[in-house]
Amino acid sequence: MLVLSRRVGESVVIGAGSPDAVTLTVLEVRGDVIRLGIDAPRSVAIHRAELLAEVADANTEAASPPEAAVASLTEALRTRR
Amino acid sequence: MMGAMTQRAATEGDVPVIELVHPMPGFPDDGRFALVQLDDDGVLHGFRSLDSEGLQFVVIPPAPFFPDYAPELADDVAGELGLSSGNAGDVIVLLVVRAGATLADTTVNLRAPLVINTVTRRASQVVLDDHDLSITAPLVA
Repeated sequence: MLVLSRRVGESVVIGAGSPDAVTLTVLEVRGDVIRLGIDAPRSVAIHRAELLAEVADANTEAASPPEAAVASLTEALRTRR
Repeated sequence: MMGAMTQRAATEGDVPVIELVHPMPGFPDDGRFALVQLDDDGVLHGFRSLDSEGLQFVVIPPAPFFPDYAPELADDVAGELGLSSGNAGDVIVLLVVRAGATLADTTVNLRAPLVINTVTRRASQVVLDDHDLSITAPLVA
């Protein structure tokens, strides 16, 4: 991992020269919270890492349920109607 | 070679292929899916990977369960999927279901719905910014 020190107002550019370059700017440091500004093209998806991990976990748990679970869900929804 | 081609055509011939513009989190190698109906009422569907054998997500439309659910797509997400206010009717939104042992244990992901452009068949599991939306919301209250 590349480790850089930056002060408030300073930036790093990721992918400089590429049309997909992303500029990350340190906006504010307050205690243990750092506010970052991110300038990126629209095609670059930006998410908090822990949220993506949560969605990945939820997807893994949801993936390929056993046939019996699908059958009982189908039945439960039918009788509920 | 010939055999593989034939098999592929058989898999994809009867169901339209949906292409993800980004892979679903946790499943980086699966880009092509097919939507297949699982029940007689057309509520439960399987979102079936064409890249991994046996990988399927159960998905449902939100309307019968969450009538107020109306996720707002960011402009960049809408742009990627080729959606604008002019063709808003070309979109379907589906929720990924985690099928529990019972209906009461079954949850859906409201935070990251599957959004499909029905014309281009491009889709994405969109992670919404709304903190109030649960990743594991009970399907029935």
